Amino acid sequence: MADRKSLIKIKPKKYKTGEVVKVSFMIMHPMETGMRKDKKTGQIVPADYISDVQFLFDGKPFTTLKVWESVSTNPVFTVGFKVPGNGALTVTYKTNTGESGESTKKVKPKG
Amino acid sequence: MQRRAFLQTVGLAAVAGAVITPSMALAAEQPKGANAMGLDAALKAITGGKMPTPSDKVHLKAPEIAENGAVVPVTVEVDSPMTPEDYIKAIHVFATKNSNVRTLDAMLTPANGVAFFSTRIKLGSTQDVMVVAETSKGEFLSAKQSIKVTIGGCG
Repeated sequence: MADRKSLIKIKPKKYKTGEVVKVSFMIMHPMETGMRKDKKTGQIVPADYISDVQFLFDGKPFTTLKVWESVSTNPVFTVGFKVPGNGALTVTYKTNTGESGESTKKVKPKG
Repeated sequence: MQRRAFLQTVGLAAVAGAVITPSMALAAEQPKGANAMGLDAALKAITGGKMPTPSDKVHLKAPEIAENGAVVPVTVEVDSPMTPEDYIKAIHVFATKNSNVRTLDAMLTPANGVAFFSTRIKLGSTQDVMVVAETSKGEFLSAKQSIKVTIGGCG
């Protein structure tokens, strides 16, 4: 599943340079723990979870998350962020199965 | 009196049975997660043997009763100026009774502006959620909250 849906949200929607906002990264992911059994086949569903998430602003990482199985399905990660100015906010992720991807949002402070 | 004693013993046995059976069943039927780790080991790996001190500076916001253990919102905020000299380096979240207690490590930098972190976690049973915040000075501050889970969310 290479085309996984992911989304970056900035709250509040209108912000100024130097203001502290909350950046949320949402992603559709099953987050399998590797301990659940498939009810139909009785087979154990192999572990598949997001293991690394990195928040970058203009290519510079400002927050790194290490994630394990106990995070919920379709996770949302929210961190604080002090807006330094115009730029691009990128979030990259990696799973334990080697899948990776990223999502970008433009940061446009007003004033 | 005899009846009371009898009931007490039976009650105790039942409680003990209830405590032991799920974990034994788990060990027998399901493989432990590949990353299974106890709280002590996980804490030691992070603090290097130091015990984190409970602190008022760490605010852990989570529901007291979670109806669904699969989605428990957890919000952590730590009082810190977040300047390059004094900031929160990392926030570690532990679910103390999950088979892998480590849930999430967030490495923060002064660019965050505020030591804030929020996500949703899975809890297998009623347990404490523990948060350890690591400051840039090498201190470890912690906060704990017990969360009652009606339906477990793991496995």
